[in-house]
Amino acid sequence: MAGRHSHSNYSNSLHYLLVRWPNTTNKGIFSATVKANRQVGHRFYRLALEFSGAGAEAFAEFKPGQFAQLDLSSAALPPAEAIPEDLADVARREILLRRPFSFADVTSRADKTVAEVLYSVVGPATLRMTTLSPGDSLSVIGPLGNGFEVPTGKKTAVLVSGGMGVPPLQHLAKLLTANYPQITVIAFAGAKTAKELPFESKLDAISQQLGFAIPEFARYGIKSLVATDDGSAGFAGLVTGCLAQWLEETCPAPQTTIIYACGPEAMLAKIAEIAKEKRIDCQVSMERRMACGFGVCQSCAVPCRIGDSSETIYKLCCEYGPVFESKEVILDL
Amino acid sequence: MTGTVNISVDFAALKLANPVFTASGTCGYADELADFIDVSQLGGFITKSITLKPRQGHATPRIVETDAGMLNAIGLANIGLDKFIQEKLPIIEKMTVPVFVNVAGETIAEYVAVTERLANEKAIAGFELNISCPNVEKGGISFGRDPEQVTQITSAVKKAAGQKILMVKLSPCVTDISAIAQAAVEAGADALSMINTFTAMVIDIETRTPVLANKTGGLSGPAIKPIAVYLVNKVYNEVAKARGIPILGMGGIRTASDALEFIIAGASAVAIGTANFIEPGSALRIIDGIRKYCARHSVANIQELIGSLSQERA
Repeated sequence: MAGRHSHSNYSNSLHYLLVRWPNTTNKGIFSATVKANRQVGHRFYRLALEFSGAGAEAFAEFKPGQFAQLDLSSAALPPAEAIPEDLADVARREILLRRPFSFADVTSRADKTVAEVLYSVVGPATLRMTTLSPGDSLSVIGPLGNGFEVPTGKKTAVLVSGGMGVPPLQHLAKLLTANYPQITVIAFAGAKTAKELPFESKLDAISQQLGFAIPEFARYGIKSLVATDDGSAGFAGLVTGCLAQWLEETCPAPQTTIIYACGPEAMLAKIAEIAKEKRIDCQVSMERRMACGFGVCQSCAVPCRIGDSSETIYKLCCEYGPVFESKEVILDL
Repeated sequence: MTGTVNISVDFAALKLANPVFTASGTCGYADELADFIDVSQLGGFITKSITLKPRQGHATPRIVETDAGMLNAIGLANIGLDKFIQEKLPIIEKMTVPVFVNVAGETIAEYVAVTERLANEKAIAGFELNISCPNVEKGGISFGRDPEQVTQITSAVKKAAGQKILMVKLSPCVTDISAIAQAAVEAGADALSMINTFTAMVIDIETRTPVLANKTGGLSGPAIKPIAVYLVNKVYNEVAKARGIPILGMGGIRTASDALEFIIAGASAVAIGTANFIEPGSALRIIDGIRKYCARHSVANIQELIGSLSQERA
């Protein structure tokens, strides 16, 4: 799967006029079967969803950075003793709306497609998600939105994630190494503490020194560095500081380098600033509360610049994004 | 057996194939749900609100989930009349389902201008007059709270609408909804749609600030359904029944049973809103469920059910 979108199906509405990429036309409502749901760290889980038939076909085309809407309303709560104290109140809430997730990995084999959700238990929906077990079925709407794009001529791709921003970058890492042998990939991942880094295996000082701190990226032969605010693993400080230091030290050619980022908006704002200063292309994956995910509820507005003018326009994160060029988005610090 | 059941309903001058609409703001401008469902199977379709000029809408967060519901404060974000005509009307022209355009504005003149411009478009069955949006400073609900203003705006828009059906969408956030309904009907409304959302607020206790950027939003979803059913029944009994004015009932409908409650309460048709976000095909599932209910209860014609609420408890 190349990171290129065809330009068919262009429409002329307000949103689409400025769209670089058309929406996928293979979106639909599909039933997925849970294959596995493993805890991989402190409050982190990896959920494998298997699609067959039309769903397998649709999700085989799922691009890194796209997303899907999961209906978790009928998933059961864990037993009371398994509910963390800080989630005791929200655990009592019913789920009404679907929840948007990107995938950390998508594998297509024969007539099945398996998509993996890497999630963190943060609220009533993700708490219920932990009780899904193999054989359960789940309603999934997708693939939705537009994913990361790989412009021609790039030789270095820098993946930067903050906290739970890492899943679509893991998926992108896989695609970049499989389809773009001319591109060297490096990944940066930040979190408040070592415990909050959403990775499966232990992060040790030696691998950080060697530049292969994260096993999930090392499996693709990709170098990676971690940063923690409290210095409990890797670089002590924000991941943006770690990135800035690396850019100073290695000075990759701006024309042939691209940064892909996903994480808190303040992190994206800082990265956009660095990219602008260094004249490096940069794509950011945005997060917004959304009710539908397919363009009708109009909840997920992202303020964007119109060309070089001072005028701004809202674009829907679900339709136009969630991946945006960093230079077009007005990011909140 | 379900083939013998007639679920078509009279709605003002229209004969609808079935009584299920998709509600304004939950199904796009035209065929946005076509990725998921066959839109031509609906009884009716209501567009997102259209204003004279495009509106950007409010800052985010624009929504927040609540128990059995959600709050939205979109701020009538829409592409504006010109773009609607250029880009959406050609799509609507190809749709076979009756399409109502939801009209909003800040002044009566704006409502009139939008309506006038669309009044001769063959593709449009009628208008839904939005005098009940709780999320804008000017216009919206400010027209819908006071019977005198309702009279003014309804008669002005009725004149602009020409031969098209004019449906007035009511807010539940009023002291006496029947007084508002009566004002609308006396000023020329051909139908009433009810209810719009309830003004509400969710507070983030960590920051002690409202979650929504607009501070307040409109509550929709299953939480409001019993109130909506009650209000539909009240307006049916006090205003609509005697005057033969159809009601389009809405508020938290998720299932055929929900829809049937509204119909029994007095609604000639119903609209599906929030449920479209979760299950874009819910309207079609509900149509099927209504048909099955009629077959099961030997209701040969669904119109027998409208307002059939018995005052005696079973």
